Amino acid sequence: MTDLGATGGSAETRRRVGAVATVFRRELATVLRTPGYGVLAVGLLALLGGTLAVGGGGDTGFVPAVVDLLLVTEVVVPLVAFVVGYRALLVDAESGELAVIRTYPVSVAGYVVGVVLARALAFLAIVVGPYALIGGVVWATAAPDTGIFATHSGVDSPLLYLRFLGLLVPFGAAYLAVATAVSAVASSRRGAVAIAVLALVAGVLGGDLAVLRSLASGADASAIPGLLASTPNGAFRGLVFETVVGVAFAPEGGFVAVRRAAVSLVAWTVGGVGVSTAALAYGARIDVLLEGVRARVAE
Amino acid sequence: MSDDPLAELSGVARTYGGVAVLEDVSVAVFPGVTAVIGPNGSGKSTLLGALAGAIEPTDGRARYVGPDAGRPIGYLPQRVPFREEFTARETLAFYAGVAGGDPDEALARVGLSDAADRRVGALSGGMRRLLGIAQATVGDPPLVVLDEPTSGLDPGMRERAFRTAADASGADTAVVVSSHDLDLVDEHADRVVVLDRGRVAAAGPRDRLCSDHGVDDVAGLYRAVVAGDAGGSGDAADAGSGDADRDEPSGVHVTGVSER
Repeated sequence: MTDLGATGGSAETRRRVGAVATVFRRELATVLRTPGYGVLAVGLLALLGGTLAVGGGGDTGFVPAVVDLLLVTEVVVPLVAFVVGYRALLVDAESGELAVIRTYPVSVAGYVVGVVLARALAFLAIVVGPYALIGGVVWATAAPDTGIFATHSGVDSPLLYLRFLGLLVPFGAAYLAVATAVSAVASSRRGAVAIAVLALVAGVLGGDLAVLRSLASGADASAIPGLLASTPNGAFRGLVFETVVGVAFAPEGGFVAVRRAAVSLVAWTVGGVGVSTAALAYGARIDVLLEGVRARVAE
Repeated sequence: MSDDPLAELSGVARTYGGVAVLEDVSVAVFPGVTAVIGPNGSGKSTLLGALAGAIEPTDGRARYVGPDAGRPIGYLPQRVPFREEFTARETLAFYAGVAGGDPDEALARVGLSDAADRRVGALSGGMRRLLGIAQATVGDPPLVVLDEPTSGLDPGMRERAFRTAADASGADTAVVVSSHDLDLVDEHADRVVVLDRGRVAAAGPRDRLCSDHGVDDVAGLYRAVVAGDAGGSGDAADAGSGDADRDEPSGVHVTGVSER
């Protein structure tokens, strides 16, 4: 009996994974047929190349390149994440196909995960590709000592740039998950754009403004590393300083609470996916509750 | 044909913005073809959506009570919703990938094998409807819910779409279809639900209803049951139904009649 149960359980798990994989493939096929994403990647490459050139070019080294790109990255990565994700779940909801999909044996969570994974892959291709090319330019043009694979402070290294690339992933994932949540909550394309713009501005500027406000209202300066870690931009910037820029130039560290920053980025990602799932799963019931409230008010 | 119902609506009501679209609807769905008819705005799409689980009732309950199945209910909304950049085969391959089945076999069932590699966006309205019907039957659900599968089609394609839908029913499977094509309903439906102003005006086996109302066919039943303002109270739920019932005749308004 136990074996049969275990077999049934693993079969059910395989079926669920298979359903997520099917949703993933469909979403990926959709993304691959969207030429705008290719244009977006080319535009990003041009922007990054221009920023690098203005900052002194690739011959300055990997860490100076990261410093040059950091501010731009804090704006364009969230922007690309929102472009890729703001309609991810809205497309099927708006067309009515979500109602059809929900008659199939795929859970709401499985559907959301399949869509998010496909969009995340698209996001990585759009963002990491151009950043990797920029890294290649630096590799090809930088001074000789940048070729050293250093793990100690004071030396520029391709490894530090790779760390920077690695940090783009959780940073982008956090914003992509938030963008996906926007697509789940919005009821129309126009509404999604409006909410996405608000969320983007709040994410890029809001966190830092909130930190400044708390300092102005008397918060202790020692609280800054913790406060910064709570927002995606603050966490990403802090981690870049701690693990990339700081390694080469400032061994003391203390820019951000590293563990808290890492947890924060994961929490934003998981939270975004959770909100997306809850919105799709319970949105109709909330609508019914609101109808009930409206009826009682009208009486 | 089994006498056990496959689905039940019990006291189902639905409002939008405080406006009642369905009120106290109780209907049981049995194997065979059940046609839901009524004027524009009578709540057909809302009823079918509630039956398919796509619309949450504000009151009452919609339940599937049929046999266990991987996919208990198949559903085609009034507006065929597929992604236009995919081909017909890719569209069905996605659904077959989730529920099981062969997309080519599903296409063959509705006569779309030759259009398998055409993009959904390039299909005619009738072909899209047929693709939608094929989708609704993927995974062999015991209950198939089709919202106006013949809407906007030419007479030949209407006949083909309705016949294809009716063919999906069987001894243990049910097809619920809303339609304004009363001749086709008369030809294919085993049972009829007449909706008027969000309420069930009449429901039951077609022959019994016709006999009870002293009429020869479903068109006569419609005339006998539905109010004289048919087609004049459109709502969002039935938006897009077209002018199919513009010439519907007036009749006596009966409300609150339920099969159960």
